[in-house]
Amino acid sequence: MISKSNKTDLSRRLFLQTSGLAAGGLIIGFYLPSVGQKALAQEGAPAAKPIEAPNAFVQISPDNQITIVINKLEMGQGVNTSMAQLIAEELGCDWKQIRSVSAPVNPVYNHTVFAGMQMTGGSSALSSSWLQHRRIGAALREMLKSAAAAKWQVPVQELKVENSFVIHPKKGKLSFGELAEAANRLPLPQDPPLKKEKDFKIIGQSVHRVDAAGKVNGEAVFGLDVQIPNMQYAMILRPPSPGMKIKSLDPKTAKSSPGVTDVIRFGDKVAVLAKNTHAARVGRDALKVEWDEKGKTAFSDESLMQDFRKQAAGKGPAAANRGNVDQLLKESTNNLKAEYEFPFLAHAPMEPMNCTIHFDGKTAEIWSGHQMPTSDRGAAAAILGLAPEKVTVNTVYAGGSFGRRANKISDYTSEACELAKVAKRPLKVVWSREDDMQGGFYRPMTFHSVNIGLDKSKKFLCWDHQIVGQSVIGGSMFEQFMVKDGLESTITEGVSDTAYDFANFRCHQVRAQTPITTLWWRSVGHTHTAYVMETMLDELAEATNQDPLKLRRSLLQKSPRHIEVLDLLAKQTGWAKKKVPQGRAWGLAIHESFGTVVGQIAEVSLSGGTPKVHKVWCAVHCGQVVNPEGAKTQVEGAIAYGLSAALHGEIKIENGIITTSNFHNYPVMRLPEMPEVSVSFVKTTQPPTGLGEPGLPPIAPAVANAIYRLTHQRLRKLPFSRELKA
Amino acid sequence: MELNVNGKVVKVDVSDDTPLLWVLRDELKYTGTKFGCGMALCGACTIHVDGEAVRSCSYPVSAAVGKKVLTIEGLTATDKITQAVQKAWVNHHVPQCGYCQTGQVMSAVALLQKLKKPTDSEIDSAMSGNICRCGTYQRIRTAIHQAAKDLA
Repeated sequence: MISKSNKTDLSRRLFLQTSGLAAGGLIIGFYLPSVGQKALAQEGAPAAKPIEAPNAFVQISPDNQITIVINKLEMGQGVNTSMAQLIAEELGCDWKQIRSVSAPVNPVYNHTVFAGMQMTGGSSALSSSWLQHRRIGAALREMLKSAAAAKWQVPVQELKVENSFVIHPKKGKLSFGELAEAANRLPLPQDPPLKKEKDFKIIGQSVHRVDAAGKVNGEAVFGLDVQIPNMQYAMILRPPSPGMKIKSLDPKTAKSSPGVTDVIRFGDKVAVLAKNTHAARVGRDALKVEWDEKGKTAFSDESLMQDFRKQAAGKGPAAANRGNVDQLLKESTNNLKAEYEFPFLAHAPMEPMNCTIHFDGKTAEIWSGHQMPTSDRGAAAAILGLAPEKVTVNTVYAGGSFGRRANKISDYTSEACELAKVAKRPLKVVWSREDDMQGGFYRPMTFHSVNIGLDKSKKFLCWDHQIVGQSVIGGSMFEQFMVKDGLESTITEGVSDTAYDFANFRCHQVRAQTPITTLWWRSVGHTHTAYVMETMLDELAEATNQDPLKLRRSLLQKSPRHIEVLDLLAKQTGWAKKKVPQGRAWGLAIHESFGTVVGQIAEVSLSGGTPKVHKVWCAVHCGQVVNPEGAKTQVEGAIAYGLSAALHGEIKIENGIITTSNFHNYPVMRLPEMPEVSVSFVKTTQPPTGLGEPGLPPIAPAVANAIYRLTHQRLRKLPFSRELKA
Repeated sequence: MELNVNGKVVKVDVSDDTPLLWVLRDELKYTGTKFGCGMALCGACTIHVDGEAVRSCSYPVSAAVGKKVLTIEGLTATDKITQAVQKAWVNHHVPQCGYCQTGQVMSAVALLQKLKKPTDSEIDSAMSGNICRCGTYQRIRTAIHQAAKDLA
């Protein structure tokens, strides 16, 4: 943390610092020609190695180029653009002169809510930075104005800021670049005025992504594209099943394979180093390894699900319990009972995992896509026996992530460090698609059972819900503060905290164990909880002979944002008149996650056993929208990702080994399957809430509800292909 | 082995069966061509060989000898169709993570070289070999129509 006591001579320091402006302190840096790129570390943080990019959120160069340092991983969600919009708005920038760079690891870049670490996740980038970033921009703007006022000897009230210039009606204009050095010597205003919403010029605009051009001409550098001098390519042979150990290794054939430079065993893994990736892969294929079968357990995805079903018979702790469910279940004469199965899912981002590392024995430098660079650096330092400040983490573009690169044990980073510690030469560890799909972390398998009690006249009485799911955070540093009384929110979120106003409602949770490693996967628990809630709601509407939208509306009277979303959706689609083309049906779902409410209506037809989703209307309440087109792309993407899983996604396990390996047996949505998606946002002045994930949960139940209208079949096992037969 | 890549003749020292992808990326440092699956399933590695869109992860380097290899880097500099496609991609907010997009652009350019005004179903079949996990498909379709219009 930064304290007021270490204020220093600002003219000699690159950074301004203060406490009190934002949670956790704030540093604003200008680019100063006199100090060049030399960064001064903040008090308390070791100054051994200057941070490569200046430790600040904003840099202004003399030619008025403005660089925004982004403390989140750009993995497709658009943070390099939207976060820059927040600062640029308040600063008063010419958007055309903005560029974005990724932040190094430094406490100043820590998450404003999840204390103590730099982190990208939980759809929190804009919501958690909304005030912080605007205040940074506003403070800088006031300092630049003050510098201009001093130079011109005019009252600061006579100045305005426009397009990266401070302007005076008589004196003319001075560029930010001309004023930066003088402004840097001024005290940081503690409470700079923020712009009124009606005065926004950049927030609320669909500015083009700052990374778009580089991503279509091949210049953008992803983890796999990083090149460092004398780098060798490594591919690693990993145990085929969790816990298996090497019995014997014969590296001779691999070593003599063309292009191979070395074979290195570390623990129960073997790395083949080569002059290019292909040579490393061929060398790896030539390794002769005998695995000790003793460590292997012969489980399958089916046996694990059977075990989950058994565990569902016992009741775990209650994540929610109100009213008197037991009594009402006794009184109920009609029941809607259902059981649901959800498979393990791989994230399968387009860029497989990788990590480039240079470890010279005294310092290390790492390049990859990092959602949690602080903990990745900590893990690297511990493995390499270095102090954390001796490890430089370079966060580069990630070719998708969907949660995979927020690894709770820093898996791909740690593994590269373990290898580099032995190999002692510059390396790039490349995962093949098979490595990525079989050696990784998965959306947990989950089992739900639901019992809805109705009375004689089929009036709703109570809702009883049991979820058996594997922990997402078990065994990680998050467990100690994210699991309370044996309850883990990632298992029941979306059910236990449902917005539906049920007076008699209960949700039990069983936290199950399997040998498979799990991780958050775009929208986490909501991936399955929304499906169960929204398909059961549809069933309840049918059983009680009510319109599915009206039933939801009546149960959501205490949730005004949900009502606004439903009303917008009804208006968007003309729900009341429901003009559905022949042979097609509509399905509705609404769900809140990450603070955002999303409602969707899917128009679906069936050909043989294959559903075709023609159109999805989507209404979203996510607070103020910073970049409307960018926001729409997130919702479109979440729909595609969720639909991919619902239609096709399933990780198969046989005899303890994951057999799903590549896109032929883990099919994902392709262009011809993409529905037309139409997104509308509720107009509001509320601050932004999450958007990377919330578009996902409603799509699968919306489509399933439409399929029911076509087939009278309730789909309880995902993906749909398990039950929808031609 | 001698190759013609982006109009330049280059020599590489690799085994004959090395997929062209790894020669381009690791040996010649044309990293705009991406690795996604290694089985010609995802299209991230799409390049042009003698004007045809091919999956370089499954195209042995020896088969490219005597042919003209074009990557995204080579086409960006000189090709009008590529530039129109890239402009449409940016204007229609297509790229998200962007990893697959160079491959998408290469497939779209190959399509527009053959068909000046592709229909939706022609776009479907030309682009179905390119996976995008960010779900940019709807915008890809719009951007191809836009590029075709701009080139007309």
